[in-house]
Amino acid sequence: MNTELIKAENISFKINENRLFHNLTFSLNKGEALHITGSNGSGKSTLIRIILGITPQSKGSIMIINNNNICYLGHKNALKGYLSVIDNLMLHGLNNHKDLNYYLEKLDLIKFLDVVVANLSFGQQKKLALLRVFLNDSDLIILDEPFVGLDKDAHDFVKNFLLKELETGKAIVYTSHIDCEIESKVLNLQ
Amino acid sequence: MNVFYLEYLKLKKKTRHWIGPIIVFILIMIAYPLTVEFLEKDLEKGFYSLLWISILLSMMLATEDIFLEDYNDGTLEQTIISISSFPFLIAKKIFIYWFMIGIPISLFSFLFSLGITKNLNISLLVFPFAMICSYIFLNLFVFGSALSLNKGSVLGAIITMPLALPVLIVLGKGVIAIQFGINYLELLLLLLGSLSIIITSVPFIVSYIIKAHLE
Repeated sequence: MNTELIKAENISFKINENRLFHNLTFSLNKGEALHITGSNGSGKSTLIRIILGITPQSKGSIMIINNNNICYLGHKNALKGYLSVIDNLMLHGLNNHKDLNYYLEKLDLIKFLDVVVANLSFGQQKKLALLRVFLNDSDLIILDEPFVGLDKDAHDFVKNFLLKELETGKAIVYTSHIDCEIESKVLNLQ
Repeated sequence: MNVFYLEYLKLKKKTRHWIGPIIVFILIMIAYPLTVEFLEKDLEKGFYSLLWISILLSMMLATEDIFLEDYNDGTLEQTIISISSFPFLIAKKIFIYWFMIGIPISLFSFLFSLGITKNLNISLLVFPFAMICSYIFLNLFVFGSALSLNKGSVLGAIITMPLALPVLIVLGKGVIAIQFGINYLELLLLLLGSLSIIITSVPFIVSYIIKAHLE
């Protein structure tokens, strides 16, 4: 049985004449994680957007199996600041999820359900956005800097969650500047 | 969850965005009689021209940042990834805007027409014109708004305004037809035909433009 979810061959990307990365080849199977690292401006987020099909690569080919079943959390949280926490959950269709209360309690968000998102701290907003990841049922999870703005407890919670997801056979692609202690393939963009 | 309901919820919470254009429309309509000598005939003469232009301006205000918020907070990216039919979603979004802003403005058009002309028949016949033209204007300005997504709404309005001019001409002729008892249905059908082309093509064009912006 084929367990490959992503297969990229000789991916290159350049903006005008500035080459961001060149001839990247990688693949990702079920149960595997891919850690994309690199300095600021090295093209980590761009590579994520290429994997998602938002930005076209300049050269090379990329194949995603079942690209309608991807859970993505980028730099932007896709939260509506003028809506309450529960309204935002409703927007993403998560308000009736069976595990919602468990995660709300774990992330200390349960008491903020009626609070407008704009009044939450950056870290709390990040946790709220991460709920979408925790409650997903996708085979492929793609996260752009998921640990930014999180306190130690939340960081560990996210890490443990991702480890559990890997055990269940899901695949994860993530960018991070820090070592997240998740056994991963590493793609270092210089 | 139903996309209609979600868009409705978002717009309902953004009170300024949907009540604002309606209030601007009402204020223009109220201000109109104050700016001319208070003679009923004179009021009637220029009323419908002002009515169509007010609807045009209100629709322009309504769509000012229809996609900007979703673009800035990352919702558009999420939508493109998770929803297979992006044009269909845009069509629904435009419909909700028309439902929340276009229809109330059309109803107020009827009421102001009745107040100014004191002619129920003319006002009733003007109502469908207002309904259709508000939907057409909304679609046109959504197109403009998508084009100038991160470049300011004025650019979009400048690009789109000339496209609305033929519609304004038809509306002017429609009012004359109604007032003189000529067959106005042909003009109404012409507008309906234009609307049917616009509502089927604009969502596809807009989705393509937005994807290009996100690249």
